[in-house]
Amino acid sequence: MVRERVYIDADLLIIGGGTAGCLAAWEARQRGGEDLKIVILEKAFIRNSGCLSAGMNALNMYINQGTPEDYVSYTRYDMCGAPIREDIILSVAEVVNETVALLEAEGLPIKKKPNGRYLNRGKWNVEINGSLLKPITASMAIQAGAEIYNRVYVTELMNIDGKVAGCVGFGVRDGKFYIARGKAVLLAAGGCAGLWRPRGHDDAHHRIWYFPFNAGGAYAMCKRVGVKMVGFDHRLVPVRTKDTYSPTGTLAIGMGAPMINALGEAFMHERPEYVKLGGHTAPTPTRAWALCQETLNHRGPIMMDTRRGDPERVAGLKGQYLDMSPALVLYWGCNDINPSMDPIEIDAADPSLVGSHAGLSGAWTIGTSRMTTLERLFVSGDALGAAPSRFISGTWACGRLAARSMLYYIERVDPQYLEINPDDLDRLEAHTFEPLDRYQKCTFYTNGKPIEGVTPEEMEWRMQYIMEEYCGGRSHWFHVSESYLTLARKLINRMRHDQLKYLVTKDLHDLQLAWDVINRLDVCHLVIEHIDYRKETRYPGYVNRTDYPNVDNENFDCFITSVWDPETDEFHFEKEPYVQIVPGDRNKESI
Amino acid sequence: MPPMVIPEKCDGCQGEPEPLCEQVCPGDLMMLDQSVNKAVCRNVGDCWDCMNCTKSCPRQAIQTRLQYQSAFFPGKLIPLVGTHSVTWTLIDCHGNVERFVMKTLAGDEDEEE
Repeated sequence: MVRERVYIDADLLIIGGGTAGCLAAWEARQRGGEDLKIVILEKAFIRNSGCLSAGMNALNMYINQGTPEDYVSYTRYDMCGAPIREDIILSVAEVVNETVALLEAEGLPIKKKPNGRYLNRGKWNVEINGSLLKPITASMAIQAGAEIYNRVYVTELMNIDGKVAGCVGFGVRDGKFYIARGKAVLLAAGGCAGLWRPRGHDDAHHRIWYFPFNAGGAYAMCKRVGVKMVGFDHRLVPVRTKDTYSPTGTLAIGMGAPMINALGEAFMHERPEYVKLGGHTAPTPTRAWALCQETLNHRGPIMMDTRRGDPERVAGLKGQYLDMSPALVLYWGCNDINPSMDPIEIDAADPSLVGSHAGLSGAWTIGTSRMTTLERLFVSGDALGAAPSRFISGTWACGRLAARSMLYYIERVDPQYLEINPDDLDRLEAHTFEPLDRYQKCTFYTNGKPIEGVTPEEMEWRMQYIMEEYCGGRSHWFHVSESYLTLARKLINRMRHDQLKYLVTKDLHDLQLAWDVINRLDVCHLVIEHIDYRKETRYPGYVNRTDYPNVDNENFDCFITSVWDPETDEFHFEKEPYVQIVPGDRNKESI
Repeated sequence: MPPMVIPEKCDGCQGEPEPLCEQVCPGDLMMLDQSVNKAVCRNVGDCWDCMNCTKSCPRQAIQTRLQYQSAFFPGKLIPLVGTHSVTWTLIDCHGNVERFVMKTLAGDEDEEE
């Protein structure tokens, strides 16, 4: 034991003070009473952290019309009729509206129609002034009396005989070693950006859609302790405004601006090959695929034609983006673009792994309990797999439901804190700080670079290069095949097996970057093996397999799950059947 | 849109345990340069442009600037944070000024910045 230690015990231990984690804390206090000890470990500062930190101008999940079942039907349709966890989406849809009302009461400005009802954006969205979305979300946890530890980076979960005892990590400011135990543990950290090469280089390499500091820690930590994982054969390829990679729902759903090609065709409406796939309301992956097809067939650049949108709404466009992506407004000002006169160029961005947006990645969970295949470990938000389209509002709701389930578990099982072997803790401590300790032994070139080591940035660039070239990055228009995957596997595994021992970091900030790379490499491993296992193309646009270009319902109309074996470094794959709860045609929206 | 700190305006948030920009940055990028006691972004390329540092600076010492690879010079976007709204001033490359008042928190409907 070298470093000062901080020991924390909590009834409810929450890893990640984000959208799900904060509402889980709030719900736990409402239902668990005053004596319940709730702890949140947060990597940054809870009021401004995570993918909500820049704000958002709409909530993409709200039952404006129809029923929760209709929302399930829409989500299923939007994921190409593919298997989704209908039980989980339904449970979220049943409480999402009341959850939005809670946040409105906390101060979130929701736009209203003259009749006083929320201003809808399409069927399932409501418009908000959401630049303070994160502080408002955090205040739910703060007022619930959760004990919040800011700037603690969690590195590993602790699995003791099939039960998760808690986690360890390091203080980003104080450099202490944190050991936290929970009677129930909620992993609610974000998804994973930055596996593939970003479109902007050097000082613009983080000008990407998804939050670049979400480095897949939730997925990697689950994988490493043997949680059953799902949905890494899928990734989100976001269609976004070119260069700033800002969201486009504001243009497409909010203004009704169609995508057009260089010929001026609103191709989703006009070209029969896309009309038959659903036209402008085709599933999200299909629209990404269509954009790529148009560009590959030399009909680019692709624009969103704001001139054909609702003029009243186009006029307020800059304001709407200031609530969410102010960079785009300055970008327009610096590039002589007037969004009500000029079409807005869009492009397919680097893929992200998410569970709560249009993605399927995460841990497999038992029923609607949110418990993973390891006892005591619950997941919500982006860490929960196979239940897409929860977005922000659904993730608030999903956090609440996770808390209810955890309280039920505590009541029913009466779990006691698990004893952790002191030798294991020493080993975990050494492991957590390894790159920092290694740096201390380095000597340096005249330019300051370590002679005996490799920096996290260098490793990240290599990883992104491998994934971009061999695992279907944007430069390959998201196409992969067995031959490419074989190369990706070889190179990524080489990094995982014998390069990480050279990783060195000079300070605690860089130690975060080091753990980001370690985690991302584990997510790469999941992605490569899952994509390889799904020998079909179920989500064209997201994952295009050139060797298996069609849907294979006979073999793959199911979830693909994996459990990693640390002894062999191989995954044990299983197929989980898809259960259709909401009746009806899977390839049609019910309303 | 990485944050650039104007040295004449930044006082390193004297009296605070750490500068407010350092406290809020979700990427742990803002830090105090001990030698001059002023804030600095340790790696502008790692910034995601959430603008929390710019909005939270009590002396408006932080200017956000787009990467030149994606935008011409000079343009500015300046937020002025009120209790229930934020007033944005956009000055484009040609000096044209636009102002936007965006609501941030419910209540106090008549507030004007």
